[in-house]
Amino acid sequence: MNGEHATREVFWNVSQVWVMYVLLIPTMLVAGYGIYRRFRTWRRGRPEQRFDQPWVRIQFLFRHAVVQQATWQKRFAGFFHALIFWGMVNLTVATTVVLVHHDFGLPIMQGQFYLWFQSLTVDIFGALTILGLSLAAVRRWTSPSMPLVHSWEASMILILLLTILFSGFLLEGWRIAATNDPWGMWSPFGYVIAMASLSWMSIPAMQWTHAVTWWFHMGLVFGFLAWAPYTKLLHPLTAVLNLYTAPLSPIGGSLHAIDFDKNESLGVNALSSFTWKDLLDLDACTECGRCTAVCPANAVGKLLSPRDLILDLRHLSRTQDDFSKPIIDATPALSPEALWACTTCGACVESCPVSIAQMPKIVDMRRHLAMEEAVLPDTMEKAIGSLEARGHPYAGTQFSRLDWMKGLEVPQRADIQECDVLLWVGCGGALVERNQRVTRAMAQLLDKAGVNYAVLGREERCTGDPARRMGNEFLFQKLAGENIATLQRYQVKTVVTACPHCFNTLRNEYPELGGNFEVLHHSQFLERLVSEGKLSPKAQSEAKVTFHDPCYLGRQNNIFDAPRQLVQISVRPASVEMEKSREKSFCCGGGGGMSFVDEPANQRVNQERARQVLETGADVVAVGCPFCMTMLEDGVNAVRSSDPSTRPTKVLDVAELLWDSVRDQSTTF
Amino acid sequence: MISPAKGLTHLMNILVCLKQILDPELPSRDFRIDAAGRDADRNTAGLVMNIFCANALETALQFREKHGGKITVITFGVPSAEEILRKALALRVDSAVLIRSDLSQRPNPWCIARVLAAAIRKLGDFDLVLTGRESGDWGDGQTGALLAEELGRPCVSLADELKADTVNTALVRIRRQTDQGWEALEASTPLVITVTNNEHNVPRIAKTRDVMQAFRQPLTTWSLAELGVDAQSISEDLACTEVVELAIPIKQTHCEWVTGETLDDRISLLAKRIATVVQSA
Repeated sequence: MNGEHATREVFWNVSQVWVMYVLLIPTMLVAGYGIYRRFRTWRRGRPEQRFDQPWVRIQFLFRHAVVQQATWQKRFAGFFHALIFWGMVNLTVATTVVLVHHDFGLPIMQGQFYLWFQSLTVDIFGALTILGLSLAAVRRWTSPSMPLVHSWEASMILILLLTILFSGFLLEGWRIAATNDPWGMWSPFGYVIAMASLSWMSIPAMQWTHAVTWWFHMGLVFGFLAWAPYTKLLHPLTAVLNLYTAPLSPIGGSLHAIDFDKNESLGVNALSSFTWKDLLDLDACTECGRCTAVCPANAVGKLLSPRDLILDLRHLSRTQDDFSKPIIDATPALSPEALWACTTCGACVESCPVSIAQMPKIVDMRRHLAMEEAVLPDTMEKAIGSLEARGHPYAGTQFSRLDWMKGLEVPQRADIQECDVLLWVGCGGALVERNQRVTRAMAQLLDKAGVNYAVLGREERCTGDPARRMGNEFLFQKLAGENIATLQRYQVKTVVTACPHCFNTLRNEYPELGGNFEVLHHSQFLERLVSEGKLSPKAQSEAKVTFHDPCYLGRQNNIFDAPRQLVQISVRPASVEMEKSREKSFCCGGGGGMSFVDEPANQRVNQERARQVLETGADVVAVGCPFCMTMLEDGVNAVRSSDPSTRPTKVLDVAELLWDSVRDQSTTF
Repeated sequence: MISPAKGLTHLMNILVCLKQILDPELPSRDFRIDAAGRDADRNTAGLVMNIFCANALETALQFREKHGGKITVITFGVPSAEEILRKALALRVDSAVLIRSDLSQRPNPWCIARVLAAAIRKLGDFDLVLTGRESGDWGDGQTGALLAEELGRPCVSLADELKADTVNTALVRIRRQTDQGWEALEASTPLVITVTNNEHNVPRIAKTRDVMQAFRQPLTTWSLAELGVDAQSISEDLACTEVVELAIPIKQTHCEWVTGETLDDRISLLAKRIATVVQSA
């Protein structure tokens, strides 16, 4: 049969259609108010520029809203979410086609388009949507341990959508059967229902149930549309807005500076101190719980839960009219205890499919505690005090910034005319005994490669990373200002550092304060030296190595390959990967000032990571960060002391591995 | 100034004497002695507020929080000593005074006490004068007591707790550390108290807003001449002590084997050797 005239009658078997149009008005008003209410809330936040670089933003939106890259990171959830998402997109388009065809009087719903799209495609996608919803329902109702919010709202949404879709298929089937639709086969699922119905229902019975079901279906659809903006199903709108306005910087550059000349609030202890984007974040949350599932503090049983923090803030933003009320300690998830448990590893931010910035909000609230109230955990207070008095956080160290270079000839910037590269040693690299060995390896590698480098020596100060992440932005800016002045005085162009925290601060945070330098992590620089032939590895160790991605190098700055290549250059066997690696790496527990905190013995993040390291059976865990170094050494030792049968895995920096290889002394185990 | 607690009519006027010293956390291998061998070389060390002075300041701040009153801080030192006064201002003391030292040598406790006493007479009456128990650089532990002497006031040393009497506003209750334990004292003002550390007077950290504000606050600066301290008595004070020599102890390890036929021989020889070493030390 020729499909040229194929179409169907819109509103077949439906009388008093005008009632539907009338009902549409209150539906739209209720839904519109739901959206307006949220929009009004966002406008109460402080200003923030988030509409620059539209083309970059559109590309980002495409990757995350259309391709749903992040959602797919969880295979099963990503799969059914895609089914539901694409199903709903198709159904929405199909409804729009009907609208244009019937109400705008443009007869587009006919012919081949009617058959291929409006019948076949929509029918298949409708069925896939039911499949997706059913998988979601099975997961929700059979795995109580999932990090989901088990609310009646979530269940109700699934039930409602399934009912709407099922009734839609019944309507289609009965229409095909009752009208003896010559194109019915083009809607295969509807056709099956038509055939099945014909076997036990009379045509008049079908007409009657069709009419009743049609109004039932319509009522549910309208009810759902009106209700959705009051539920997490607001997210098709808020997620798109939130993704479009997402921060374009890497996670490591996502903290905003405070302008101390303006009398703005120092940190956040009220919803009114958040920016509109922070408030939009709250409404974008779909309660999926991925952030809490990847949070290292949460994993070891601490109070911190990024998801609950966001949901509690959202609850406050929806229930309290006074946005100047204190929010810290309003709920357990917002308590100082929870806020001080954060390692600022950024796993929550990375895992979020809708680009919510949980960690920066934690730092914002820490800023209030540290600067407005001046109340920090004791050991952090000590580190801050030492940063203020001595420019490094290691209170009580017996080392000076020059001790590590004993016996080596390391040029200091003040003593020479010029240098190509400034080796930024960092406090960890200079003042912690174990890390001094890494700095020595680094200096010797630079020497061997003939690099014209120098160090700042005593003129170096902490970059300010720990101060900033412990909430003392004022101290951070003071230290940063001093360092920038020193670096500019020496006309430094390229900085290389073995500390990812220094690296991140120098690279992502100094430009805002006027310091623009080319900044490289030592793994990047060393890898470059090897590929240029300036360093030639001789011996290759036989050790089985696994690489632990430092959060501030990997996840927060997207550098994953350079350190792995260094490992592969220095070691013969292929290295093994931990289950949680690269973007999904699990924090060593030392970021955000946490390496200065004495964690409760049964809640140590480093021991959890050490167990993950030991599970690989590696001889060596390679690191590229002084904090990871000490945290993992302590972690491995602690795990081994409680279970001496575990492997004596060594912690080595990638520079140490390379140095052993270059000086022809393969590390043996 | 903080209003008095309920029932108290008299506001305590408190002075806290502060000293800026070489950072005691300077790594020992960075510690140097100057060419004359009489003083520590500033070298790379930072300068900080003496910890016991910080304890005294914290004690005063807690006292003011509880009982009301007014806190003035004072220091006698080189211009850089302004830093510790700013730190104190950031902790919201009411006023700060810097007495600039133009002496060519390091002042000793007699000299410091005389200068502080002159400043106190110029500033007016204080109910309480608090000092640290000693400084972390030279550790003389004299200034507080000498200052009391100079002012002709009683002195309670090694206090670690300070409370107001709720009935008699001219009385304070002091807990004092001794070798045997604590002494609970009742003292009438005015008096001088030297403060030692305990777990309750760990110095607090300043709020950032106050730190920013502290740099804009006025500071009274006086020279010795403005205080009317006469040069003759200062030089007499300085002459009463002399640093003969300052040396960094040399860490030496010396190993000696005790030999003997039997174990008993070796034990008795070892015991005798220990006895001679102890006696000679």
